[in-house]
Order: sequence, then structure tokens, then C-alpha cells
Amino acid sequence: MQAPEAFMKLTVKLFGGIKSTKDFPKNEEGDLIVELPSEISVAELIDELSLNKKPFIVVLNGVILHDLAIKLKDGDKLSFFPPIAGGLLN
Amino acid sequence: MKILRINMSGNPTAKFEELGEYEGLGGRALTSAVISKEVDPLCHPLSADNKLVIAPGLLGGTAAAMSGRVSVGCKSPLTGGIKEANAGGQAGQVLGRLGIAAIVLEGKPEGNDTYKVYINKDEVRIEKDNSIKMLPNYDLIDRMKKEYGEKIACVSIGPAGEMKLSGASVAITDMELRPTRHAGRGGVGAVMGSKGVKVIVLDDTGTTPRQPKDAEAFKDANKRFVAGLQKHPVTGQGLPAYGTNVLTNIINEVGAYPTYNFKEGRFQGARKISGEVEAELEKQRGGNPTHGCHRGCVIRCSGIYHDKDGHYLTKQPEYETVWALGGNCGIDDIDKIAMMDFLCDNYGLDTIEMGATIAVAMEAGILKWGDADGAINLLHEVGKGTPLGRIIGNGAAFTGRAFAVERVPVVKGQALPAYDPRAVQGIGVTYATSPMGADHTAGYSIALNVLKTGGFVDPLKPEGQVDLSRNLQIATAFIDSTGMCLFIAFALLDQPETNQALLDMLNAFYGWNMTDKDVVEYGKKVLKFERDFNTRAGFTKQHDRLPRFFYKEPIPPHNVVFQVKDEELDQLFNW
Repeated sequence: MQAPEAFMKLTVKLFGGIKSTKDFPKNEEGDLIVELPSEISVAELIDELSLNKKPFIVVLNGVILHDLAIKLKDGDKLSFFPPIAGGLLN
Repeated sequence: MKILRINMSGNPTAKFEELGEYEGLGGRALTSAVISKEVDPLCHPLSADNKLVIAPGLLGGTAAAMSGRVSVGCKSPLTGGIKEANAGGQAGQVLGRLGIAAIVLEGKPEGNDTYKVYINKDEVRIEKDNSIKMLPNYDLIDRMKKEYGEKIACVSIGPAGEMKLSGASVAITDMELRPTRHAGRGGVGAVMGSKGVKVIVLDDTGTTPRQPKDAEAFKDANKRFVAGLQKHPVTGQGLPAYGTNVLTNIINEVGAYPTYNFKEGRFQGARKISGEVEAELEKQRGGNPTHGCHRGCVIRCSGIYHDKDGHYLTKQPEYETVWALGGNCGIDDIDKIAMMDFLCDNYGLDTIEMGATIAVAMEAGILKWGDADGAINLLHEVGKGTPLGRIIGNGAAFTGRAFAVERVPVVKGQALPAYDPRAVQGIGVTYATSPMGADHTAGYSIALNVLKTGGFVDPLKPEGQVDLSRNLQIATAFIDSTGMCLFIAFALLDQPETNQALLDMLNAFYGWNMTDKDVVEYGKKVLKFERDFNTRAGFTKQHDRLPRFFYKEPIPPHNVVFQVKDEELDQLFNW
């Protein structure tokens, strides 16, 4: 049976002591597998993750993000890094 | 401040002279000026005509935070062009307190005798000592401690320098009097070896910090400067917590981590060798993840790495070291990488050049990808000076020729460091055009291309990269001349008040009125010395290029090639 289009599965990697305060399933490497309604933005995902640390850098599918309003799609991979540089998003 | 000239021809002699035409120059500006003005660009790098210049920066030996870098300059045996390699450790501060703006090693002894030089505030002693011949750096420094006590700083070479291998470094001792900080690049250790000088022992007993012209203004500027470093996220949080190796995960995630000799942009085992893992192991084993490499360092990105039994093994391996001897060779065992870091320090070798070379050897089939024990054995071969070891010790280009490898990642004969120029195009411009050969520190575009410090230029596109690299190369030439650690640039780029604090500090110290415009002119002057030397040594614009495979082979995951056109590269120095 095909999964309903209204949901998407994201992989979220957290580095440098960043943790989610919520429980999500994890893959073999310890990354979070997050299933959410589609059309969610990065900013909304960040709210959903409820991370323990701010600020951070966000990398989406290997590209540094500038705009947290960008909409995510099924299969996207996001990585969050600690403040190792200036010009952070939040 | 004076220049100390040590002539090793005939009976070695030492004499002090005034700075003269070199007044106002320090660190890289001084080493590059002396080499450009006094060394025949066509000389053999290991001949008596070459010189080795060791210079603290403009603020070396003062109370200024972060001012302990020392520059080592010469004609490079690796590139054939001018070279400045700089390092942390204690020597920069001690030289400054001794009132020495530069030590210039000149000439060459006729025989094979080994010399040590002892310098304190009262005398310079040049002594023949063949009992220290071919000692590894750690053993050598233990001997120096027994002879001269523990309140010294040493500048030394290991067996690689004595064998005059082009991958040889000059070691500088750290605060614990360990030979862990290296002027690594370009084979500067081979030039020191060619002068017959094994070690320079510096003793600043009885000296005081250099005094500024305006003490109050200097103190105030230094306070603002330190506050700026401490509040910036890179210099105040990221680097102290995880060291430079904090970069492994992010460079890997953005697909710019050169893996298997620059074949891929991501390494499966990156997390196992990351700064986060290093820091955790250092805490667990009784090492220290936050440590300064010299007196006056407030960033403290260095660390102490212990082995599985809790014994000191090496300093915290740096990002570039972990990449070169790790991911680039397919090795994901951090303890084995730390052992290789120790061996490079002990034999006196550039970790970047050695890692790149071992990857080329793996490409040639000498070792299998990921063979950490084989890589450790190769480094021992270098230390022993076996025929294979001498090939490896001469670097990636030499090894590539010896084993007929087509894909050799070098510019001007020097190996590329830890950022793929296809996934970070700005650093590719710096690699191609720097007078030093491929050098990430010469214009660290990663700051803007990846880390978004001081702005952002899309790393995957060619637009804006030449301007970016030009501006960074000019600014870097200036910072390298002050004796400041390059990491201050993160705070300088983002915080105008911290940039101003540095200028205020220099102005208060020297009685200058330097502005940002003067900084640009200063940096250009340094680059002009270097470019002029290289031009007279035979370099042309065709030497300002990356190996062609970077233009032809797309690198996954972004599947991009290097796209900055040759004619754009030729515009970099057209100011």
C-alpha cells in the first residue's frame, strides 16, 4: 500500500552536542528519522525538533541554508551544526 | 629589535645588525622581504646561496593576545618558489622578548657536522654537536632540556630535515616544551638541515615583554581585542570546545571533504575521526581538549591527546592532519591517525604533504585504501631514510612521478589541503594563485564559502571567487606579518570593532596611524615581494593553475568541476 502523500520522511543529523528534546526513531548511524506532514518549512521543522541549543548552522542536502522558510520534501537530509562560524541563521 | 645573522660557512659566525630597510616589517613581511631582496631566485634551495629566515611578528614578545606566531621563510625545495610557513608555539614570543626581529641562517658548512645554536639575552653560541645527529624531535628536545633547563623554547628539525627531504618541517616547542607546532609547508626543514643547524635553543630568562609607545592605549586595545575574540562563536565557542577538527563533519556534510585522493567529497567514516570524537576521547583519557599552543592564546583550539592507556601520545591532531592522514587515505581510526601525527612531529614532517603523499602511494597500489598500519610503516620508512622513505618524504609530486600516478593534487609542487576546490571554488582560486603553492591558509575562502563569516559567496559557483580570494590573500599577508594567529580573522571579519582593536593595538605599540587602507597596502606589498621572487625564479601564469583533473572529473555528491576560468585567475593580482 502506498504511503499517503501527506507525509514525508526526513533524516536529521545533529552534531556538536545539539540534541532534540523529543523522542524520534533513529537509523543505524544514530540520525533522527522524522516523519511529518508535507509542505512543512525548515523553520517549522526546527520548532518540531525542539533542539537543546541555539544558534546553529543548517545544511540541507549538502548545501548551507540561507532561508529557513524553504519547504522540505520527502527524503531530504538536514544537518545541524554548533556555532562554529559567524552569520548564523538564528 | 635587531636582525641576527648566523653564517654557517667556514667557522660559523653570529652578528647583530639594525633593521635598516626592513624597519616596520615583521613575520611574513620580513621573511619574504629578506628572501626576495637577498636570495638569488635561481639558486638551488639547498645551496649556500639560500637563506632561512625565522621571524616573530610585529607584535611578537609583547603582551598582545594571540601574537605568538613565528614565520619561517626561504626558497622552497618543494615548490622552487618563495616560501613562508608559520607556526604557533613559544618561539615567536621568546624571540620578541630577546629583541630579535629575525634570525637569518646563511651560508653552508663544508662537512657533515651538526650544530646547535644557543641564544639568550647576553650571547649567541654556535656549537658543533654530532651527538644529536639524526635524533627525532622529541628525543632532541629531551636532550636540550637536560642541557639548558626547562625555561627554553626550541626551533628544531628531525631526521627528515637532516636528510633534506622536501616534506621536512621546522618544529617549534609548545608551552609544555614538546615539539608539536610545525612550520610545516614547503620543506623549510630541509633548508635548515642544509645549513647544518639541528636546533636553535632560545632562552628569555631575565627579559621582559616589549613595551608599547602608548601603554594605556595598548592595554585598552588589547582588552577590546580579547573581548571580541571571546564573544565570537568561532573563536569563543567552537574552536575552544572541539579544536580545528570541528570542521570535519561540516566540510563532509557540504560535500567538500576530499576522500580517496580527491575522488569523492564525502567520507563514510568522517564522524569517527571528527573533533567531537577527539574531544570526548581527550576528556575520557585524561588529556585536554582545550589548550593554548603558546603563552597569550585566548582561543585555545589546541589540545592534548592521550592513547588508550591514558599516556600522552601527541597534541590534538588538527583538522588538516586528520583529513590528510585519515579521510584522504580512507583511514577512519583516530588513534592510528594520532600516532601518525606523532610520527610526523617526531621525524619532522609536514602532515598535509605526508597525507597527500600516502594517498598518492595508495593510488599507485603501494598500499590499500584504509591501510592505517601500512601508512604508519611508510612514515617509519621516511624516518629511517630507506629508498622508499626518501621518495615519500619528498612529497606528493615526487612520489607521483616515481610511481607514474596521473592524479596528483599539487600546485607548484605543493599538495592541496583539506578542502576540495570543486566543492569550494574560492579555495581553488587560492590554491592556484598563492605564491606559496596550494595553501589553504593563504586566503581561507572557507570562511565565506562555507562558514558564512563576514558574508557569503556560493561555494559551488565560479562567480565572485577571484575577488574573494584576492581580498583574503591581501588580508592574510598582513595578519601573518603581525604574528597574530590567523583564527582571529573570524572575529575581524564579523566584528568591525575587533578589527579596529587590532589596528589600535599596533598603532599604540609603534606610534603609527594605520588604517584599513594601510592594511591593504601592507598586504599587497608582502604579496609583491613574493610574486617578484617567483617571477624571477621562472614562474609564469601557467603555474597559477590547478591540475587538470579538477576541471574534468566531477566530484560527488554535487558533481561539479572547477569552473573558474584561467583568464579570471590571471586577474587576481591585477590591482
